[in-house]
Amino acid sequence: MTRRTGPLLDVDGLSIALRGVDGNLVDDVSFSLNAGETLCLVGESGCGKSLTSLALMGFLQSPPLSVAGGRALFSGDDLLTMDAAALREIRGGRMAMIFQEPMTSLNPALRIGEQIAESVRRHKSVSAAEARARALEMLRRVRIPAPEKRLDEFPHQLSGGMRQRAMIAMALANDPELLIADEPTTALDVTIQAQILELLRALQSETGAALVLITHDLGVVAEMADKVAVMYGGRIVEIGSAERIFTDPQHPYTIGLMSSMPSLGARRGRLVTVPGTVPQPGSMPAGCRFSTRCPFRTGACDEVPPLRILDGDHAVACVHAPLGGLGEAPLKETGT
Amino acid sequence: MSAILSVRDLRKEFVTARPLFGTPTVVRAVDGVSLEVAQGETFAIVGESGCGKSTLARLLLRLIEPTEGEVWYHGEDLAHLPPERMRALRRDLQFIFQDPFSSLNPRMTVGALIEEPMRAHGIGTASDRRARVADLLTRVGLTPAHADRYPHEFSGGQRQRIGIARALASGPTVLIGDEPVSALDVSIQAQVVNLLEDLKDEFGLTLIVIAHDLAVIRHMADRVAVMYLGEIVETAPADALFEAPKHPYSETLLAAIPVADFGARRARPLVEGDPPNPIDPPPGCRFHPRCPYAQDRCRAERPALSPAGEGRAVACHRAAELDLTGLGDPTPKRSADAERRFDLYARALAGAVPTNNDS
Repeated sequence: MTRRTGPLLDVDGLSIALRGVDGNLVDDVSFSLNAGETLCLVGESGCGKSLTSLALMGFLQSPPLSVAGGRALFSGDDLLTMDAAALREIRGGRMAMIFQEPMTSLNPALRIGEQIAESVRRHKSVSAAEARARALEMLRRVRIPAPEKRLDEFPHQLSGGMRQRAMIAMALANDPELLIADEPTTALDVTIQAQILELLRALQSETGAALVLITHDLGVVAEMADKVAVMYGGRIVEIGSAERIFTDPQHPYTIGLMSSMPSLGARRGRLVTVPGTVPQPGSMPAGCRFSTRCPFRTGACDEVPPLRILDGDHAVACVHAPLGGLGEAPLKETGT
Repeated sequence: MSAILSVRDLRKEFVTARPLFGTPTVVRAVDGVSLEVAQGETFAIVGESGCGKSTLARLLLRLIEPTEGEVWYHGEDLAHLPPERMRALRRDLQFIFQDPFSSLNPRMTVGALIEEPMRAHGIGTASDRRARVADLLTRVGLTPAHADRYPHEFSGGQRQRIGIARALASGPTVLIGDEPVSALDVSIQAQVVNLLEDLKDEFGLTLIVIAHDLAVIRHMADRVAVMYLGEIVETAPADALFEAPKHPYSETLLAAIPVADFGARRARPLVEGDPPNPIDPPPGCRFHPRCPYAQDRCRAERPALSPAGEGRAVACHRAAELDLTGLGDPTPKRSADAERRFDLYARALAGAVPTNNDS
């Protein structure tokens, strides 16, 4: 671990293909993440955010899915080409994950304490008693009430919020350097979501772990992210610091997504939306994939727009960016 | 305010376990709810899982039988109407489900599904009904040609549009939506929210919306009822509730909303723990175990929902003395250039793109 000089996670040109479908489902996705940082991958259904995280964890269903290109260096080792045994060693150890539905990673037939202890013993040579002590410590750290009692309970005996905490306890039991969380609070009520986000932030600052957080909720992004990558149709359309993405968004999709969200302030009339729907995989337009729904579409959008750096670490994949440069000219050239 | 629906002390108990000996376990899913919905308004019922909001919505239209209480609609008590009269009244009162197709026959075409309520109520001739199906499809942003297709051929947003067309088919006066947009992606959700509001204006509907998403509520609702463990704890005009809640649970809900703005992360008074089990609700005020302001009285005595001025009502012993925090100014802090881009986007969309083209 001392040989690391670059970022903790460096994803470069990741592409994912689906057998029999033209056009990659995830196409040329690049981002990097340092220790202690939180990167949010945000976008709507079908944008490729979950596939990206599954590829990093080696969980792509292959076939029909496959990695079609790129690399994902984790402390210098490529997760995409690593052999299965090495990846298993990393997974649940230095890299851990949290899912939307805790029951995807909790075994319903095993007591909570046994599951956490088992995960500890898989990655560290400790005694059963030490592993159980570690499990108890973890339940305490995720603030589960009466942890001694919970240790011997089964997952179904816990509420949704408590199960999510138990899964987080298991994910963090081996002090991972990287945590990947896919919609970890989407199924939870808003007050429980607030508790879990708070917990993730606290644990992250205690452990210095990096976090890749996949979400569709811009509110969660604003609460958690240092960096944000906005995805659409399998590509990153805009990436930058959370501050830049929220105060100075540039891509028409980012602007459309933010406009679509009802405000929590006084009502301002009809919502400005993104018209239409995401094209099906295999029928994506050849150039900019957002062009079929974009009010600024011109002939130039028939080419794939490169992710261009506008300023510092803020990059946008739109030939029209910065949009302000369009001035007041009416943009009526759409074919939709 | 002229009420189109008046609900008096509505209750629904579910028996969850009936042992051979001893007393059955009863959940009071809705436990003494009274409310009035004004003609033409959008009334929202908000709360977290298990608070009873979906049960309440179903009781209002008698999709399930109430244990006790009254639901008055134009001088008739829906809760006690004979079944045939209730069936006739369903023409006026329609329901929109979160996924309208989970309960519908997948082998019926979209046209047949939309026509069904008209047939059931004996509305028009076959050709009248066909014409109305075509008209409804157009109004919800689809095309008449969609009538011959099957539900599985449509996306989630389109299916919700079809569900709305079906709900409108009998010419209702009241529409109740149970989480009508919560399964949809944000951009599609915005389209359906706009559609519901347009249709409400066009047809003069009264809208009752059940939701857990407070931003959607804030946008759509004129008045809001907040539910907790089977009870209404606060009702208020939407602006008043969001700016100055009067019940500690309302304050808690508002504080928990993640605000999509940079630097909006707040130090919030987090409630600890989960909502209690509705099988065994705490004595006194049901929120007291999680309430930061609870006193002895709150642990012993159950507060009634009482008028609190300005069309508001609150069920809290300490409502008058507490000064609770609402959402401050949630206007996003964007650069002037960014504001110009949002404006440019909205204008480009209005000028260049026809609405409702999600086919």
